[in-house]
Amino acid sequence: MQIAVASGKGGTGKTLISTTLMKVLNDERVVLIDADVEEPNAGLVFNQSPLTTSVVHRLVPTIDPDYCTLCGDCAAICNFNALVVIPDQVLVFNELCHSCGACVALCPQSAIRETKHPLGVIEDTLVPGCGTLSTGRLNVGEALSPPLIKACKQKAPGAPTRIIDCPPGTTCAMIEAIKGSDYCLLVTEPTPLGRHDLVLSLEALQLLNIPGGLVINRWQGNDQYLSDLSRRTGFPILARIPFSPELARSYMRGAETLEAMPELRCIMTDIIRQIKEAV
Amino acid sequence: MKEILFISGKGGTGKTSLTSSFIHLADQCIACDYDVDASNLPILLKPKITSTCYFSAGQTALIDENVCNACGLCAEICRFDAIDTNLQIIPLACEGCAFCEKICPVKAIKMQPRPSGKWYSGVFNRDQTIFFAELKPGEENSGKLVAQVKTVARKMAVADQLPIIIADGPPGIGCAVISALVGVDLAVLVAEPSRSGFHDLQRIYQLLQQRNIKSTLIINKWDLNPVISRDIESWASWHMIPVAGKVPFSTLVANCIAAARVPATDSTIHKMLFPLWENIMKQLTVI
Repeated sequence: MQIAVASGKGGTGKTLISTTLMKVLNDERVVLIDADVEEPNAGLVFNQSPLTTSVVHRLVPTIDPDYCTLCGDCAAICNFNALVVIPDQVLVFNELCHSCGACVALCPQSAIRETKHPLGVIEDTLVPGCGTLSTGRLNVGEALSPPLIKACKQKAPGAPTRIIDCPPGTTCAMIEAIKGSDYCLLVTEPTPLGRHDLVLSLEALQLLNIPGGLVINRWQGNDQYLSDLSRRTGFPILARIPFSPELARSYMRGAETLEAMPELRCIMTDIIRQIKEAV
Repeated sequence: MKEILFISGKGGTGKTSLTSSFIHLADQCIACDYDVDASNLPILLKPKITSTCYFSAGQTALIDENVCNACGLCAEICRFDAIDTNLQIIPLACEGCAFCEKICPVKAIKMQPRPSGKWYSGVFNRDQTIFFAELKPGEENSGKLVAQVKTVARKMAVADQLPIIIADGPPGIGCAVISALVGVDLAVLVAEPSRSGFHDLQRIYQLLQQRNIKSTLIINKWDLNPVISRDIESWASWHMIPVAGKVPFSTLVANCIAAARVPATDSTIHKMLFPLWENIMKQLTVI
């Protein structure tokens, strides 16, 4: 089973939920994938150093000047303006390239081949008693995160439970992260900002037809709007995590969240039960 | 004309609370929200929308079934798995590279412009202008939409001779952030004193260094963890990043956000943030 943990707004508690979920599942076969590759934070919760680190590449064109006739076809083919022909050579802008392979296949002189451009790394960490954590980490300065997210998600396809800690927002990166999940937890906070972004992420979920439920973090009693939204859209509210300065403080310093708020264990168990019933 | 961008790497550190407050404190400015996939600044500033523009970037492939001979070459060459076994295009997966259009032996594929979102201009506070945008859920090209918002804001700032653009940045370090950083004079780093906040701060700072952009730091909710807060301060002084100030955790700010109000409209918060704004302006004048 693959469970995605997502939210439109940043800082609502995705990483808190996904790491606590992993702890509560208490099964060494669980795999947590930190797909928030721009700012991966799940590793900070467990305080373990990675066992292995592998570099993820994407393919970019390289022009062989011996064969290139500067005909300009490649620049005309590229829909992303990643190739520019100047009088004596072809310039390649790697950061604009989407690695579609069109220029390579269609160059009349076969003067283009593909070379690997490092995009980021995947760090595999063993978390004793909890399973494995695979963290995607985008190189600073790289613009395109989806290919790295895709690579992260190819990790441990056979694991009985995979949790995906998703990037914030509703763009292509978030879609890539939640794609193929059996269930998606949408974490939100009961503020006007959280509500606004939640509505957008519900739309993204509906695009992919993935069943989902809401987790209200920092709950402070009144959630009329969210209950109405849940009723209207059919996405159930799975849990309400009460606002707790104690939990916030201990999470900030990287201490054990289940000790700061013992009832979190019950809340998580209940979330897991509801997901199993829904899937 | 100068541009200030509030940025944090990690989400939820208080960018929008602070940006909206400093927009309130500034005399004359244009407000901008570059977080195009979860735009929150307008929720607090409550502008009256004066214009809405459709934004289209990139393309999607469309197969003409009357022409297609079902050879399957397009599905074979597509690297984004955007053409399924029934030779139907999956629009969410299509990146618009047009490889299929070019390779189709019977020319059955045409690229179509792809609606990606909308951008808006609005008026708040009687005569101040805000620019913001909404990317359609699941779309790419957030960077291009950010660039679009930036272009119109800069044009207006020059035309109306406004001294400053104050912008709320997107989270992360990817394409939207890289696009938001273009031409920025000063980046205000908003950090929260948590281990993840500190970790993400260092990554966004690395990006600022790559792009040669000056920065100043605000530690938000610093008293929630004075130890990490001190670590962040020593890190900042090591990298010679001026600290514009530290903001304590305040239920007043939380109450304002809950009521969708700009925090600095509260006089206590106004007083608390004013020295920080003066520091930021001082930083800006030396650039």
